[in-house]
Amino acid sequence: MTDLDLSRAWLVDPASGREGPGELVVRDGVLEAVTWLDGGYADGIDASGVIVAPGFVDLHAHLREPGNEDAETVASGLAAAAHGGFTTVCAMPNTTPALDEPGVLARVQAAAAASGSPVELLAHGAVTVGRAGETLAALGELADAGVVGFSDDGAPVRSATILRNALAYAGGLGLPIVDHPEDHTQTEGAEANEGLVATVLGLRGWPGAAEAGSVARDLAILAEVVRDVPGAHLHLTHVSTAASLALIRAAKADGLPVTCDVTPHHLALTDEWIAGARRFAWEAGPDGDPWRDDAIVAPPFDASLRVNPPLRTPADALACLAALADGTIDAIATDHAPHTEVDKAVEFGMAANGISGIETAIGLVLAAVDAGQLTLARAVEALTTGPARLLGARTRRVGGFGLVEGAPADLVVIDRAASWTVRSDALASRGKNTPLLGRELGGLVLLTMAAGQVAFEEPNDPS
Amino acid sequence: MTDVMDGPGATPEVVVPSVDVAPESQPVGWRHKHLLDVDGLSATDLDLVMRTADAMREVLARPITKVPALRGRNVTILFYEASTRTRVSFEVAAKNLSADVVNIAAATSSVTKGESLVDTVRTVEALGAQMLVMRHGVSGAPYLAAEVFGGSVLNGGDGWHAHPTQALLDLYTMRSRLPDGGSVAGRKVVILGDVLHSRVARSNIWTLTAAGADLWLCGPPTLLRGFEAWAGRGAAAGRRFTVTSDVGAALRDADVVMALRIQRERMAAGLLPSLREYAARYGLTRERLALAREDALVMHPGPMNEGVEIAADVAAGSQSVITDQVTNGVAIRMALLYLLAGVSAGSASGSAAPGSGAS
Repeated sequence: MTDLDLSRAWLVDPASGREGPGELVVRDGVLEAVTWLDGGYADGIDASGVIVAPGFVDLHAHLREPGNEDAETVASGLAAAAHGGFTTVCAMPNTTPALDEPGVLARVQAAAAASGSPVELLAHGAVTVGRAGETLAALGELADAGVVGFSDDGAPVRSATILRNALAYAGGLGLPIVDHPEDHTQTEGAEANEGLVATVLGLRGWPGAAEAGSVARDLAILAEVVRDVPGAHLHLTHVSTAASLALIRAAKADGLPVTCDVTPHHLALTDEWIAGARRFAWEAGPDGDPWRDDAIVAPPFDASLRVNPPLRTPADALACLAALADGTIDAIATDHAPHTEVDKAVEFGMAANGISGIETAIGLVLAAVDAGQLTLARAVEALTTGPARLLGARTRRVGGFGLVEGAPADLVVIDRAASWTVRSDALASRGKNTPLLGRELGGLVLLTMAAGQVAFEEPNDPS
Repeated sequence: MTDVMDGPGATPEVVVPSVDVAPESQPVGWRHKHLLDVDGLSATDLDLVMRTADAMREVLARPITKVPALRGRNVTILFYEASTRTRVSFEVAAKNLSADVVNIAAATSSVTKGESLVDTVRTVEALGAQMLVMRHGVSGAPYLAAEVFGGSVLNGGDGWHAHPTQALLDLYTMRSRLPDGGSVAGRKVVILGDVLHSRVARSNIWTLTAAGADLWLCGPPTLLRGFEAWAGRGAAAGRRFTVTSDVGAALRDADVVMALRIQRERMAAGLLPSLREYAARYGLTRERLALAREDALVMHPGPMNEGVEIAADVAAGSQSVITDQVTNGVAIRMALLYLLAGVSAGSASGSAAPGSGAS
């Protein structure tokens, strides 16, 4: 067990709605004292130095075990999570075999226990057997075994009828359906967001309508299911377009039980990067044109940018930031998708979809905060209490998701004045597939504590 | 020939190389190691390519069409897509320059994963390739090859993205056949057909807007998807072109009409009702061609579907320069192999901006 004395830090605690200068004491792994400072004691402490927040929660991470341990294992994935400040991770069920019955969940949980990581591993179960979209998986048994939701994330076939039945059945179990909205009839062979970049580069267009159309369908079904099953809950994951967000905003205003998340890369990066631009969405502006703006600084067609849903336009990314600020988006989830080099060092259109993102998430989010696109409080909320609301009582973090005295320490300490360079050997994940390689990111995670133990400690702590 | 760009600023004097001698023995001002796209070519670059091609045409007019410029140099031609015209054109060009030519026809599929492109490129380099001419069905593939290949990569067509030598031979053909000294600036050039799937159209957009042409893209709306947005942005960047499905408006008073191949697969994908309907509505017939200027040039990148996108009598008619395109293709490819070889051999210094397609 561990001790920690932090005086003069900037504390951000969405659970209590407080943010400000303070002190924090951990004794034997227990958060013994949280003291909010005011008056002269608070002089010179601001949000630009060391900040402390509750450990982050990731609703959407691919840990690849069992079945694709070359790309990631539960152990390497949890180490990567800790490096990124995450202390609760929800693994996605698209493993081999799929996590569609309790035996697979037991294997994943055993791997987590064997890793020795204090990071909490939770999991989504599959909606259908083998993620094949045909018959319902063992939803009740999976619920009893502890899954936090059900998802056929990325699977190519799923009928509206199956979705309707799953929403109703899972609703009866008190669990959400986590849907990846994509109408596959519009995206077969698609390579990049349909728009200027795809047209100029000759990449097969991935229409925004494929996402918004699926969102509209899901919401229409939800509106009917919820009449019969008040516990039904739809969570739309990695929403990426302005049109999808407009539909979700309206559905929330109507009182539908829908929530959603966005990835850090859809907040900050855009399809311009495929053309060779390397500026963030807010630097491009809603009408950004990398050719006109002379913003192309790297070769085009970098396969690390191939991801599903595709990186969208600057206008879409800015719409995601606005939706995060106004509460339409509930959570930031990484969609951490590690791949082997073999699956990525190929032609753009043949590369596997996905970005290894759990370690760079906070850096991208803080870049948005630094640029004034998001408040620090709202960013931390979307990384902690926002996603935690989906988990209910299925997390061991009994103290809740705040800086709560007397609870096991579960927190992240970040030096916003320090930065690090994203390099393969700096990533704990086996997946080195990130378009941020070589880039300097502000906000260095100094310490991550989970369940009262040190999950990650920066070896070169400058403070 | 200084009309490549009609923007402000005079084109610096281009030094035309003496193509009878090895390229590394003389400074010619070419700085690109690879030719992957045409978007990064400056007006000066285009002018140098055109003038070097003039010198190659002069070689092609000799009794013996062979110069020793690339003697002892290995040019490997790696084609992942079926092609006769372009592959043979590159081969003839390389042989005219006395290069050693290796031809590789590779099969590719996203489903049956065999040897990766990266491994193949490393293998051909280990086998002695010094310049790599590559065609591939996936957009951007030559950029991946250029990352791992030590010598120059010359893009012979990638997916829907780019076909640099085709666009350059098209520009060269227009300049040699248009009246009044061949200026392309202000001329109405119409690209008619399947623009969406066409790397030829994309590369021609870059070169023809750079040359100041009044460029029109015409076809059914399904085959123009996305291009209106490009035209709109292009206008903001001063590289204007027009997109329309009105074939009459497009062809009226045109100086050049370039028809593009229509493939049967487009019907299976629901983009066209039938080839018959396409031919009736968009085919380049003698009646339609009459809307253009009476001396308008007729072009086609080949291979043609006569009776579909172009009528046989138009293809073979007096206004057709389609066989010129083929001959000029050899001259243009000789010119590019020659210019790139100068950089590969290390005589040129400096490198293009990293984002430049021709880097």
